[in-house]
Amino acid sequence: MTELTVMLVDNEPARAAIVERAMLDNGYRVIRRLETTQHLTQAVAECQPDIVIIDIESPDRDMLENMSRLSKDNPRPIVMFAEEDDSSHIEAAIRAGVSAYIVDGMQPSRVKPILQVAVARFREFQALRTELDSVKSQLEERKVIEKAKGLIMKHQHCDEAAAYKALRKLAMDRSQRMIDIAKNVISVMELMGDSK
Amino acid sequence: MNQSNLNNSHAHVKLGFIPLIDCAPFVIAKEKGFFFGQGVNVTLSKEASWASIRDKVAFQLLDGAHMLASMPLASTLGVGTVRTAMQTSFTVSHNGNGITVGNGLYERMQGVANTPDELRNAQALKRLIDKELDSIFRFAIVYPYSSHNYQLRDWLAGAGIDPDKDVQIIVVPPTKMVAYLQQGEIDGYCVGEPWNSLAVEQGIGHMLVTGYEIWGNTPEKVLGVNAQWANQNPEIHHSIIRALDKACSWVQNSDNTNELLAILSEPDYLNCTEEQLRFGFSEIKPKGKFDWPMEAYQIFSGVSVNHPSPNYALWIVSQMWRWQQLARPVRLIDTINQVYRQDIYCNALDRQLEPLPAFMNSAEFDEQKWLKSALEGRLKIHPHGIEKGVVF
Repeated sequence: MTELTVMLVDNEPARAAIVERAMLDNGYRVIRRLETTQHLTQAVAECQPDIVIIDIESPDRDMLENMSRLSKDNPRPIVMFAEEDDSSHIEAAIRAGVSAYIVDGMQPSRVKPILQVAVARFREFQALRTELDSVKSQLEERKVIEKAKGLIMKHQHCDEAAAYKALRKLAMDRSQRMIDIAKNVISVMELMGDSK
Repeated sequence: MNQSNLNNSHAHVKLGFIPLIDCAPFVIAKEKGFFFGQGVNVTLSKEASWASIRDKVAFQLLDGAHMLASMPLASTLGVGTVRTAMQTSFTVSHNGNGITVGNGLYERMQGVANTPDELRNAQALKRLIDKELDSIFRFAIVYPYSSHNYQLRDWLAGAGIDPDKDVQIIVVPPTKMVAYLQQGEIDGYCVGEPWNSLAVEQGIGHMLVTGYEIWGNTPEKVLGVNAQWANQNPEIHHSIIRALDKACSWVQNSDNTNELLAILSEPDYLNCTEEQLRFGFSEIKPKGKFDWPMEAYQIFSGVSVNHPSPNYALWIVSQMWRWQQLARPVRLIDTINQVYRQDIYCNALDRQLEPLPAFMNSAEFDEQKWLKSALEGRLKIHPHGIEKGVVF
């Protein structure tokens, strides 16, 4: 059995790199990796991949939908996923954000492992991104709190510890998050022209 | 869930939409509180492709969506996708498509046209194709199972052009149409507004003919839902239909146009300027070579608009058959009755509504003869519209 060839289309280069690495590690050949492209159908026609893995949120997906027609320009029709008896795997893929177009007539048993590799990497990437987003927002929150603290120090002529304590007390009294109190403090001070 | 439960706690429903002007009723039903007023808390999810809409509704990441009128049929039949039962019981809009060609093709067509009519009925294009055997003529549509594809093909075939051999038809996302035309990637397209008018306004192309002039009044977008969801949640489905019905009349009322444009242009929706949208809703179109007949504009409201039309469903499945998108013959009547649910529409709106007469239910309808005529391209929509029937 010849090794299957894969084309990856993903607007997220970092994720595409992770998926490509995993494909190679699992013995598949990635013949082309693309970000969003004007010439997607042309690229598919040129590369003739066995399977195209594309981010479900890609606006270019509809272009591939047209390739299921058999024509002289497209001797190997590409269909969405493969066999319909495989719907639990397709559902898992869609939930992970993976869509796949496969050369018509290919056995589902050959496609399934590739799809599983892609799904696993998409999930991993999603988890990484969620973590990164939370670190980023924590950093952002810390900056806002620092700024509010600075304004209080200036306005009340107090030290940092006292300013922090004042913020925390406000948050506890109003049962709000520190970050929300800090944002309120900043906007009130700005209103009073006292934020410089 | 019964009505009293609905009132106590709002049901949650997730609906997808594509940022096109005809998603307006969905956006308005949400923003003006029509969904909420019906006891439903709707989350709208902006989707990047029709394929994404279809797949997410199929696997219930979405309960329903703004869909091409052909999509619930294609999904139920398993055309180009995994077979999933979908339904539509409410049509959101009629009309609004146009065929535009770039300046380059227009000039070449003009060079061989004897009359302006030959530009509009594709005879000039036919002559050009016969004359320039080596040229490639590339047209774009938005999706293979769409009115745009079938209208373009009907227009070409009407002039004796074979859409599969004499031209290339590719899919391009609507938002990229004008740019592709300008860059010469494509020679023309069939798409909804405002992309025909924008090409005319920017001096990139000429709108030749509207979808209305090819097919008459025909459904364009619908509320498409996962059939399993609809069967499990009939009351919520009815509430969604009532809210959309209200939103459609709101959108149709020209007093609301400015507010509509302001809402639709927001980043959560079409994310563009109000001016870009105006051509989709106003009576004023940029002055081009050919005018839009008033009837060709998008229509959102009225019983004859919103009622699901089995006659149109039959027409669409016939087009799938005609253009060989169906691998095998299908049971036409069963499929259409299963997908285009007039009973739900009538129940939801609680009016003394009569189902539309469907000509497939008439005594003289012969399924085999019909399919044969469709394949031979001999079916034409009645000059007075699809509800009047089809002529052979």
